[in-house]
Amino acid sequence: MNSTKTDRRGTKKFQRLRRIILSRVLLAPFVILMIVCGSLVYYFAINLHAQVESELVRIADDHRRLIDQFLSERVEDLRFIEISNQFEDMRRAEYLSEIFNKLQMTSPAFFDLGVFDKHGNHVAYDGPYDLEGKNYSATKWFKAVFEKSVYISDIFLGYRHAPHFIIAVKGISSGNPWYLRATIDTRFFNNLVENIRVGKTGEAYLINKDGVFQTRRRSGGALMEKDPDAKIYRNVPDRIISFSAADFRDDKYLYATGRLKMTEWMLVVRQNFTDAFTPLFRAIFVAVGLIFLGGAVVVVIAFFLASGVANKLALADVEKREMGSQLIMAGKLAEVGEMSAGVAHEVNNPLQVMMSEMTMIKDLFGDCRPGEPIEKQTIDLMKDSVEQIGIQINRCKQITQGLLKFARKSEANVRNVALPELIPEVVAMVEHQAQLQNITITQDIGSGIPEINTDPGQFQQVFLNLLNNAIYAVRDEKTGEIRITATADKDFILVTVADNGCGISPDQLEKIFVPFFTTKPVGKGTGLGLSTCYGIVENLGGKIAVSSELDAGTVFTIRLPVNLKAGDRNVG
Amino acid sequence: MNSIRLLIVDDEERFLSTTKILMEKRGIKTLTAPGGAEALQVLDEARVDVVILDVKMPGMDGVETLKRIKRKYPLVEVIMLTGHASVDSAVDGMKLGAFDYVMKPSDIPEILEKMQKAYNKKQAMEEKIRKVKIERIISHPMAVFEKNGEG
Repeated sequence: MNSTKTDRRGTKKFQRLRRIILSRVLLAPFVILMIVCGSLVYYFAINLHAQVESELVRIADDHRRLIDQFLSERVEDLRFIEISNQFEDMRRAEYLSEIFNKLQMTSPAFFDLGVFDKHGNHVAYDGPYDLEGKNYSATKWFKAVFEKSVYISDIFLGYRHAPHFIIAVKGISSGNPWYLRATIDTRFFNNLVENIRVGKTGEAYLINKDGVFQTRRRSGGALMEKDPDAKIYRNVPDRIISFSAADFRDDKYLYATGRLKMTEWMLVVRQNFTDAFTPLFRAIFVAVGLIFLGGAVVVVIAFFLASGVANKLALADVEKREMGSQLIMAGKLAEVGEMSAGVAHEVNNPLQVMMSEMTMIKDLFGDCRPGEPIEKQTIDLMKDSVEQIGIQINRCKQITQGLLKFARKSEANVRNVALPELIPEVVAMVEHQAQLQNITITQDIGSGIPEINTDPGQFQQVFLNLLNNAIYAVRDEKTGEIRITATADKDFILVTVADNGCGISPDQLEKIFVPFFTTKPVGKGTGLGLSTCYGIVENLGGKIAVSSELDAGTVFTIRLPVNLKAGDRNVG
Repeated sequence: MNSIRLLIVDDEERFLSTTKILMEKRGIKTLTAPGGAEALQVLDEARVDVVILDVKMPGMDGVETLKRIKRKYPLVEVIMLTGHASVDSAVDGMKLGAFDYVMKPSDIPEILEKMQKAYNKKQAMEEKIRKVKIERIISHPMAVFEKNGEG
């Protein structure tokens, strides 16, 4: 046996085993782990999204209400002044100043206060600037308040060149309309909105209906600037809606937007996606880390476990194979022992004869006296003894030759053989002898038997041996009959030799292929015929089998492969 | 009574004839039989002291023949002749009452020696039996008439 080849095969098998065990040990936990982690992250993400969204919506809603409330309070303040005072009183500077002081006490957000007559002339003003006497009839706010009686402006840069917004209300005094206008401190107003903070990036701001910032945006966007993202905001009256969208920088944001009731402004609360989902990313990071760390530990443990198990399996396999070869060895040794016992017995018989002949010759020599004539009878006896020794030596020679033939496993001389031709040839060799003994031989060779790849000489030897055995078996029958069949069976050819002879008893049948086992009388058989046949058929990649019944007959079956492959042959 | 009467049982015909000549030359009256059945027949017809019996024979084999001889003629001594490399069958024979065994191939002097010992043993045994009988006759003279058929 080639040990390196075996080792390599063993290692390969070991690696394959380990791979199978590893994949089975690792696959299931990993799949489950991935599913668990995946679903956890998924639900966490959904939950977090909802949470962030509702937070934004809540903030937007609260602050919208707050701003609306602030605006409506300021409007009410002005309306109260308008209702409770007369235009004639209000146009007096001292009176207005008194009123404005009171107004500032109710809300410090009021920056100044002006009174206008029905023509839009600024008739009275109290505040840090000097704006009296100007006519405002052409301005947008004046036109709007003339129609709607309450007006809240967008933030604009007026004569003061500073951002502000105004609230104007219309009053009627003795049939004539007059107008009250207050400026609201934008900084004060801004604080309401700009101070909103959500997470790190969460911010809020107001835009008017044209998408111009009414408050500063912390992440970029000055007052009065046009918001580049204005078109993505969704505008649904009386409701806060939330959505996610990318801004002009392609950063993704979660938005909550709602329109104010008092003006056409829109409150926008937004938080950067990455910021909003920071907990999620952290969770994913931790989960992935854990999977990799835990996975590494599991892989290492599984690797060692699998190696251990595979090693044990491989070892068991090696042991099994060794055991097998040991059994074969033991069988061979037993065969050798049995054979040598057989050889000894077979050789000892002729040796015994030779020994007695030798004693005979010695005796005869002892009878002879020098100078005296030797009797003819003595000479005949001597001659006889010497001849007998020769016969016995021949017997020994036959035994040793048979033994050599059995022992030598000559390389088969393989070629294509047509059995339908070869079988009758061999039968012809024994036909004459069979006829003398009144034995009929029938051949039943099936059609379509392919040429087989085998050694014709060796096949002939086996077949002839079986025929001779059959003839010997039917020697005492009145109507001896030997039947030969040949059939094809897939990749094999079956050749049977059946006789109706004396049969073989079961205990003899067991030993029939054992070398030197014979039932024939001394000198008639060496007991090597069938054991040699067995060896040859095995060598030709086939099988030989026997079945027999006492006094009914015996069937020998040879099973030979159509194609003799090198691997089939048991050489050595 | 002086010469040993020998029976050789073996399936080798030449061995039988040659050994017979050699034994006769040495003053031993020799009978031969080619098989167990023939041996028993010879024993029925002739008086024999020692049997040399081959273990392995076709038909009735040596061990079986030994059993029958010992059953029918317990005083006849048997020497087993074995060709086996193992002594198992010879030992079997000894257990069944064989005197000794001889391994093939063995020369005439060896066979003669064992045969002589076997013969001596038989003589001694017969002597003993005779003495016992005489003593019995002396102490119970009437016994001679009681069991006259026994000899």
